[in-house]
Amino acid sequence: MPDLLSVLVQQSLNGIVLGCLYVLVALGLTLIYGVMNQINFAHADFVTLGAFAAYFFTQWLGGGYVLSIGVAFMAGAVLGVLVNAAIFAPLRERGDELRPLVATIGVSVLLENGALAAFGPIPYEFHTPYANETIRFGKIYFTEQHLLIVVVAAAAIGALYAFMRFTFVGKALRAVAQDRETAGLMGINQNQLIMLTIVIASAFAGMAGAMLGPVLVLTPFAGATVIVKSFAIVIIGGFGNMEGTILAGLLVGLIEAYTTQFLGPGVIDLVVFALLLVMLAFRPTGLIAEKREENV
Amino acid sequence: MSERGRRWLGIAAAVAVIALLPVIAQGSAYWHGIMIICALNVLLAISLNLVIGYTGQLNLGQSAFYGIGAYVTTVLVQTLKWNFWLAMAAGALAAGLVGIVLAVFAFRLRGHYLAIASLAFAVITYQILINWVSVTKGPLGIYGIAPPPPIALGPVTIAFTSPANLFYLVAGIGLVVYVALGNLISSPIGETLRAIREDEVSAAALGVNGKLWKVFAFALGSAISGLAGAFYPGFVGTLVPDAFFIIESFTLLAMVIVGGMGTMIGPVIGAVLLTVLPELLRGIGDLRLLVYGLALTLVVLFMPGGIVQAARAIWARVRPARAAPGTAS
Repeated sequence: MPDLLSVLVQQSLNGIVLGCLYVLVALGLTLIYGVMNQINFAHADFVTLGAFAAYFFTQWLGGGYVLSIGVAFMAGAVLGVLVNAAIFAPLRERGDELRPLVATIGVSVLLENGALAAFGPIPYEFHTPYANETIRFGKIYFTEQHLLIVVVAAAAIGALYAFMRFTFVGKALRAVAQDRETAGLMGINQNQLIMLTIVIASAFAGMAGAMLGPVLVLTPFAGATVIVKSFAIVIIGGFGNMEGTILAGLLVGLIEAYTTQFLGPGVIDLVVFALLLVMLAFRPTGLIAEKREENV
Repeated sequence: MSERGRRWLGIAAAVAVIALLPVIAQGSAYWHGIMIICALNVLLAISLNLVIGYTGQLNLGQSAFYGIGAYVTTVLVQTLKWNFWLAMAAGALAAGLVGIVLAVFAFRLRGHYLAIASLAFAVITYQILINWVSVTKGPLGIYGIAPPPPIALGPVTIAFTSPANLFYLVAGIGLVVYVALGNLISSPIGETLRAIREDEVSAAALGVNGKLWKVFAFALGSAISGLAGAFYPGFVGTLVPDAFFIIESFTLLAMVIVGGMGTMIGPVIGAVLLTVLPELLRGIGDLRLLVYGLALTLVVLFMPGGIVQAARAIWARVRPARAAPGTAS
């Protein structure tokens, strides 16, 4: 059945494009969790803000779409600095896992409704010039926008990966993630590193927002549709595990594409979260198991 | 005054407040509605507090149990023509049983993992309510749901078509549950739950069966939320899955934290405050949720123990002569 084959290839391509965007969002969550042991529910709003920043840059200032991805990156970074200064830095002193989580829920409600007051509830139509240019191979087609997403995401993910593996600062970050106290004894300045983590995470979320903007229904609540799935990805990949998150993000993108094709778009969340619960029940350390001692 | 005397005084005061509120509202349907929602939220918040505050299990899926109670009760009454009170019991039981399933996840998962697992649980429940159209009618919802049937007490018949009576019913149940949970928490069972919260391994070393008591806390907490759910559709008249989206879980968590987690009265204060505050802010339109988010963030930043602990700290400063102030239980 050549038709089934082309459908499979087509949906695999769609899934990878979507998966790339999920990875960009989920990597930030996993970084924040790895380094700070915190769950950030406001991450969704970095995505939304990135999308709006890119929208206004292209529509109002007449900027190019590719450049707007950089603008969204910067917007996310700035928001990250602010949220770190207001929430994470003061609450970190108290060493509690529940309150920072609730505080980020509060920040999320604040940002979403601030955006609602500023931008209104009516969805914005975010056009990108590259969505109209189609590239065809027989029965399989994709747009230049898809190509752009994959290239930008791969470059960003590759750069982050290289940064974490090979640079001194990246190694210091991983040291803090492994053992905060010992890293502190080795003379690593945690506060700066934690700040850097949040800035990278939110900048990536902003960048993802610029590329998700044309796909999602762009409202002040756009990020929320992506974020719950991103939590699933972070768990499936293993909290704080970069390789696992990349793999899980692509996997969820593919699952979503196949589910849309064969079962209908209504059950995507059902399939993804059922997978999540199965993972939690049988393999809570994630796809790529990492040896980690737990202090009892 | 003795501890016992103070407790009875508290109950008497609560009864008086509940009895007087509909009189003060003077037949305003709007305020009666808010009072009923308050009473439901109190039930939900104290049940979540049992799991999060006293047993230390980070549960972000409480909205699922609320929804299960609401849907099981409504479907049994509307489709299978069950008696409402029987269906209510079945709804609470169903929520409690599903709570046991979530408790099984809590055997192995701790902290943030359990938080995400319970969140996933709530998402799945919501998706089932949306997709199982033949039973739940899907996103369009179930319409024309009647309030609970009247109760005949000898010559007097109490009809719950009256919002004041419905409020008395729900608030009365809330008070009974509150007193019962309060007794449970100050009993050895409460001590066992707190021991699991503080240090599960040490508790196990003392012979506490952690798994059993987690199942107990999740089952009871979920059943109470399911009970609250049984009354929600009859009050609103319609039932849609969106009422049980995960945002509802976050709101309940906010009530527990803002009021004071791990105290009995804290979640009650939080539930009433966070239900009434947005209504009072209705005048500023869309900005009310902005204020809500800001208030939540500020409370967590500056009142880490919630309103109850802040009030106790102020009380201790105002009355320094008073011997050792009561410690948080």
